Amino acid sequence: MSVALSVSTNQSSTTVGKRVAKYLKGLVNHKGWLAIVLVLIFWQTISLLLGGHGLVPSPIRTAAVMWDVLVSGEFFVQLGDSMARLLIGFTLAMTMGLIVGVMSGSRWFWNEFFKDVIVLGLSLPGLVYALLSVVIFGTNLMAPVMAILFASYPFIAVNIREGVKAMDKDILDMTQAYKVGKWKVIKNVIMPSLLPHFLAAIRTGFTIAWKVSVLTEVFGATSGIGYMIRFNFQMFAVRGILAWSLLFGFVMLVIEYGILVPAERRFARWRPNISEVVK
Amino acid sequence: MKTSAVKVKDLVKNFGELRVLDNVSFEVEESSLTTIVGFSGCGKSTLLNVLAGIESITSGIAEVNCSNDSSTRLGYVFQSPRLLPWQTIEQNLLFVRPNDIDEETHSKRVLKYLEMVGLKNVRHKFPYQLSGGMQQRAGIARALCIEPAVLLMDEPFSHLDEITAGGMREEMLRIWEETHRTILFVTHDMQEAVELGDRLIMLDYHGRIFADLKIDLPRPRNLTEREFIYFYSDILQHLQKMQSIRAEELAELGLN
Amino acid sequence: MTATTINSSQIPSSTRGRKLVLFLKQFFLSPRWLFLIVVLTLWNSYAIFRQSRLMPTPLKVGMSMWKILESGVFFEQLAASMVRILIGFSLAMLIGTIIGILMGSRKTWDQFFSAIVILCLALPGLIYALVCVMFFGISILAPVTAIIAGSFPFVVVNVREGVKALDKDLIDMSNSYKIGRGKVVRQVILPSLLPFVLAAVRNSFAIAWKICTLVEVFGAVRGVGYMIKNSFDQYAVHGIIAWALLFGGVMLIIEYGFLVPAERHLARWRPQVKQVI
Repeated sequence: MSVALSVSTNQSSTTVGKRVAKYLKGLVNHKGWLAIVLVLIFWQTISLLLGGHGLVPSPIRTAAVMWDVLVSGEFFVQLGDSMARLLIGFTLAMTMGLIVGVMSGSRWFWNEFFKDVIVLGLSLPGLVYALLSVVIFGTNLMAPVMAILFASYPFIAVNIREGVKAMDKDILDMTQAYKVGKWKVIKNVIMPSLLPHFLAAIRTGFTIAWKVSVLTEVFGATSGIGYMIRFNFQMFAVRGILAWSLLFGFVMLVIEYGILVPAERRFARWRPNISEVVK
Repeated sequence: MKTSAVKVKDLVKNFGELRVLDNVSFEVEESSLTTIVGFSGCGKSTLLNVLAGIESITSGIAEVNCSNDSSTRLGYVFQSPRLLPWQTIEQNLLFVRPNDIDEETHSKRVLKYLEMVGLKNVRHKFPYQLSGGMQQRAGIARALCIEPAVLLMDEPFSHLDEITAGGMREEMLRIWEETHRTILFVTHDMQEAVELGDRLIMLDYHGRIFADLKIDLPRPRNLTEREFIYFYSDILQHLQKMQSIRAEELAELGLN
Repeated sequence: MTATTINSSQIPSSTRGRKLVLFLKQFFLSPRWLFLIVVLTLWNSYAIFRQSRLMPTPLKVGMSMWKILESGVFFEQLAASMVRILIGFSLAMLIGTIIGILMGSRKTWDQFFSAIVILCLALPGLIYALVCVMFFGISILAPVTAIIAGSFPFVVVNVREGVKALDKDLIDMSNSYKIGRGKVVRQVILPSLLPFVLAAVRNSFAIAWKICTLVEVFGAVRGVGYMIKNSFDQYAVHGIIAWALLFGGVMLIIEYGFLVPAERHLARWRPQVKQVI
């Protein structure tokens, strides 16, 4: 059983503007900033103490690199490449995950059939997917896409499977008794019932997808965020590694916590057993 | 002369601005069965919590005394069983062994009271494996097995169905007659209060004692007997008076 | 006198025999074997068809695995990796538990740490691995620090939930019976926290070994990750798969053979323990 942290937000009936202001105010007053500031100070101190060259770059110089990379537009170029691979791979993963998940959730046979490969898929580290894909598919587009596909689909499948299993048969029987039309049933019963699981699937799937994607690029790509990270690693440029990682991480965090998590929270019930099956 | 097992004088308890107990004073005789009645939220549970030391006193005195022992042992039966879910029934009772009682003596008492409440055969089970009534009985056995001077009971049967509750009341009276503990029994059920108590204390909406009545009926009390019905209707009059005063207060507040 | 719980020796042996047969039947007649057969067949056919060095047959991979095991190399490298994992994991548990308890008890601590915990939870192991390798080189500090950084958030999250879930009613009850503080901690608080601690162990162990492998890939001269990197450099796909399966196998055995049953057993007093996986 694993669990996600929740940051509480209050939904009131005030205007959107007021709500945004309240949210921002809460954000600013949050003591978490204190911790981050402390960490930054600690980091700066260490870098000064250990002096000299790049072994421990100061946060300030790292920030300078981040700024350069952003302003020159190079970040967005590389980001674009990475995002393209991510989207293609993730879409495929969603498709496969949906198919396997629905099959596993509906029939005992398919559940047993896919059980082991899902467990294995969930447990294998992204590293394995990344390395194998690079070796087999080269520096092609296929490498990250396949890695994402196989690393991410189990998470999607598990969530969808649970969603299908949790479908209320009593209600479905009722719709049969009232002879409700098929599309109506799908639209009003099946989809709302699956929605929370679907959102959980997207969120957990996406988490692993981007991590594996970057990892694959690190090992074998000629463009993209992962490539830049490897490039900096080979030049022993710690600042560069930190800069690219933090920028990319920030974008991903914005997507995850700015879009996916609120969407899930809004539409979903709390399911501790599934929602946080990570890495 | 019998000494007081429980002594409460000018007890005041506030939760922030809300006054829950307002100058409550009464003394309880040893070996007596006193019921405390009132409506939900009028401070009955708080009174017990204060006596048990779980809540602090704002002002006044709330004491539990015992004429013989130096240790004032209290047994508290809660509304919900409050058993440790990860221990068996027997382990739950062993858990509350008082410091001055050695393990062997306490274990024997545990078995004795489990048998008294009829749970000896299930003492190795976990709470979730037992029904609500059985869990509540375990809570009662737990309170009894430390052989306390005073037994505090907070609406112990209110979550049970009427049949089980009726059986439990009978059992409780039987145990009381066997063990002669002092019992303070809180309930919102007037009928239960009259059926059980030697004495009935009524708390009103403000946490004040509204009435303090002695009940002289001999036990077992048959609810259909004429004497009981007279007595009960007497008490109901008190209740109605309290309710009408309350209604007046509410009306006044409404007008403002 | 201690109480004994009802154990399986009290179930009549005929029922146990029947249960065993049922279990075996379920295990062997399951469609899971069908999947294995299908996958192996497809893989084999494709590999034979492709005839490429980059696509070994299952047989080749199997032989590789056997060689690795037989020569003892596996246990050597496994030991090297396990030492790092265990050190890092223990420290992560320690730090994580402390922070988790703080966060679960007081709101101020909760807010204070939450940003960092969320951040560390979300960052990929890659970053920890690369940064630590750069700072610490091939010393043992690299994997240990990376593991701590990557897995302590999982401990925090679970311990925090455990602390928040402490039942105040039970503590009040213990106070009303004047139970000593030590006894309350030992018999009320710790058992209540146990399922959460076990979940913390399971989750943080899972991430710990993954991060360790990653660190070893980038900067180590021994360990499973290093062996995998070796195979990778030589384009030896069979090597990668062999090491991955062997190591993954051991980790899965630890997780599902020990940690999950431990969690189920120690939390058996809970009426409904629903395991998704």
